[in-house]
Amino acid sequence: MIASIPSAVLHGVDGRLVHVEVHVANGLPGFTIVGLPDTAVRESRDRVRAALASTGLPWPRRRTTVNLAPSGVRKGGAGLDLPIAIGVLVASGVLDPAAVAGLAFVGELGLDGSLRGVPGALVLVEALVGHRVVVADADGPGVSVSTTTCRTAPDLGEVVARCTGRRPWPAVRVAVPTGTPRPRQAHGGDLADVRGQLLARRALEVAAAGGHHLLLVGPPGAGKTLLATRLPGLLPDLDPQTRREATRIHSVAGVGGGDAEPVWRPPYRAPHHGLSAVAMLGGGASLRPGEVGLAHGGVLFLDELGEFPTAVLDALRQPLEEGVVRLSRSGGTTTCPARFLLVAAMNPCPCGEGGPPGACRCAPASRARYARRLSGPLLDRFDICVAVARPGVDDLVGCRPGEATSVVAARVEEARSLARGRGVVANAGLPAATLHRTAPLDEGAADLLVRRVRSGHLSGRGLHRVHRLARTLADLEGGVGPVGAQHVAEALVLRGSRGILLGESLR
Amino acid sequence: MTDDELACAAALLDLPGMTPVRLARLLDGFGPRLAWRAVRSGTHPGDRERRFRIGARRVDPGQVLARYRAAGVSVLLPDEVGYPAGLVGDPGAPAVLTAIGDPASTEARPAVAVVGTRSATRYGTSVAAELGRGLAASGVVVVSGLAIGIDAAAHAGALDAGAGAAPPVAVVGTGLDVVYPTANRALWEAVARRGSVLSEAALGTPARPRVFPARNRIIAALADIVVVVECHGRGGSLHTVEAAARRGIPVGAVPGSVRSPASRGTNGLLVDGCMPVRDVDDVLTAVSLTRGGRAIAPAGSRPSGGGGRSDGPVAGLGRVERAVWEVLDDTPTTVETVLLRTGLSLGAVGLAVGGLEERGLVVAGAGWWSRA
Repeated sequence: MIASIPSAVLHGVDGRLVHVEVHVANGLPGFTIVGLPDTAVRESRDRVRAALASTGLPWPRRRTTVNLAPSGVRKGGAGLDLPIAIGVLVASGVLDPAAVAGLAFVGELGLDGSLRGVPGALVLVEALVGHRVVVADADGPGVSVSTTTCRTAPDLGEVVARCTGRRPWPAVRVAVPTGTPRPRQAHGGDLADVRGQLLARRALEVAAAGGHHLLLVGPPGAGKTLLATRLPGLLPDLDPQTRREATRIHSVAGVGGGDAEPVWRPPYRAPHHGLSAVAMLGGGASLRPGEVGLAHGGVLFLDELGEFPTAVLDALRQPLEEGVVRLSRSGGTTTCPARFLLVAAMNPCPCGEGGPPGACRCAPASRARYARRLSGPLLDRFDICVAVARPGVDDLVGCRPGEATSVVAARVEEARSLARGRGVVANAGLPAATLHRTAPLDEGAADLLVRRVRSGHLSGRGLHRVHRLARTLADLEGGVGPVGAQHVAEALVLRGSRGILLGESLR
Repeated sequence: MTDDELACAAALLDLPGMTPVRLARLLDGFGPRLAWRAVRSGTHPGDRERRFRIGARRVDPGQVLARYRAAGVSVLLPDEVGYPAGLVGDPGAPAVLTAIGDPASTEARPAVAVVGTRSATRYGTSVAAELGRGLAASGVVVVSGLAIGIDAAAHAGALDAGAGAAPPVAVVGTGLDVVYPTANRALWEAVARRGSVLSEAALGTPARPRVFPARNRIIAALADIVVVVECHGRGGSLHTVEAAARRGIPVGAVPGSVRSPASRGTNGLLVDGCMPVRDVDDVLTAVSLTRGGRAIAPAGSRPSGGGGRSDGPVAGLGRVERAVWEVLDDTPTTVETVLLRTGLSLGAVGLAVGGLEERGLVVAGAGWWSRA
């Protein structure tokens, strides 16, 4: 007899519908799984047999063949345990096919028959449109973010009992009442903790308001990491679309805690510089999302930018440009959303003391070598590049605290809503062609920009970046009227310090 | 001395593995020709290991000399015309010296070495340029090392002094066909054209850390007085100072801000009793010269740290520009500090600095500003 049970497997950050076909017929007792299963799927035979036995259900003493259709794509993960078990029960006549009609199954089985959650359950359920999907109790809250038509059960015995109607399906436990605003929990602490650092605070605010990538350059102990951790707190809550995408990515990657809450706040990812290109972009046989995907909608902080392998950094250019990362591996091709705010920190030179000339003891050649680790195109992505100096004693002891995160975040929210009025998420996304309309310059501002370009301080591309930055600065002041000269002048200062890395201060 | 002697000296210098110390040992008590023959036959008492015998057998001294001459390099031996008088009798004098340019420039007196750190501040390079210009215009030979930073600024200043000024002299650590650092190529060529560039290294010798301290002793020996413009707590400039002290040559230092790391070494020298150098006149007094009828440095070379700060350049500045100008000085001031001291917004400060920069009053660096 034949059974066909719908289920799903992960493919990158998407789910893919898989039909688990089980054929039980006369012949030598045996159990085969075909259809490109990976090791976890092949091992499911032993889990399923043990689970059936523990639950008191019969294991067919006949020839059993499981086919995973479509048979041409690789399938991974333990989520196919439950559909295989159900398929075996239906094909061997224990379960009536009518009892499982319209149902799909996703879940891992324990040897005692208990049902375990799987990574990416949310995505898998979304791939099974039109089915009522049975998942483990543990996956219920996470899945409920997207749909409430799923069914949950604690173990295999309950699944069978509830399918046959002997017991009712309970209501799904909902993780978060939709539409409830979440308290703004600052990620790494409050901005008020940062003493002094006027310039860097301003840079953070502007970066958050306009979505401008930020590079902090300064000696060790200047507080670069401290500043970067304050950035997610300044960003507004994720919009529904981004929230959905981020939640899916986090679900697939299995990060973000066991309570499977949707991702409300911008994520903050700070990978160590030893990571590989695969860990950064995603990949592997199962096309797992990488750090750029996990940072979607939030902040990707690269500390010690100069220590990252050049290949990893240059691989960032495509996601930075397109907002998605496209992966092609032997397992197929996938696209993962990756729109993030890139924040990087580095020392100005190998000894770390660089900055104003005279302080650094590095040989010019070693400085040049240090600077060469960053490609020009990548450096160019940073709209804001500020030097962070070590705070003085007065700053640490005497100075009154600066503005709190909530105060600055309100201004950021204001600026972002102005940007939304122009049809973009943030000003960094304004197309260059429409800048003259979306960010008109007053006479003094235009004059200043033209003089800067003429004197060779600014390239054509830099011109547009300064222009967008000036738009954000004007927005932070309310955004009425054209962009003024003082906005352009401030944008030029904020964009300014990249020369610190190019040994400019030595000339 | 015949060409043959010169050729043998050049051939010895050019042998692979030769160092100034070994060369001095080989030539000590031998003439170049005798030394060459002894090395070639492996009987030189200074080359017991016969380190150079194989290399020497492959070489024709005449060809080596021809190669040096083709490169425009002259080979100088002690007691020979052109060998700098300042080095004669010096305990560490190079046994063979190579030179480009006019060797007579090394004979000109007085000579002042202007040296300092490679990672100089704007203050340091402008003072060095001023000293170079003023000294050269007053007929003083400026000796330096053609490194970037203070050295380059001093040479550039000396070249800037115009026609009739004293020729500059550079002593480098590399071979004379290896321009190091390459950023100074134009300067190197200009010094070779107007004065001379000296080296005790064979052609093709690359830049290595150990050649520079050795080079510094020649700089010190050539000078009547050594002026350190800026240097850190330790570094090459202090080698020059030590070499000068051993030879009894006076050392002067330019005072700097006590907060500037680049002036830590020079301020330390002042504490140790070195002569303070504020301007060209201080140096000229020290070499018993006054500015006579010679051309004085052109306008604009006034020490920028002087008292006439509030007039002149700031005339016609707006209120904000003046406020920013007031908090800046010759040492780099970070953007942060300017914001704190003026209490102005970043936009206002940026606008003011932009204006000051266009007037040439302020130099903008990476995250810092200073007066030009």
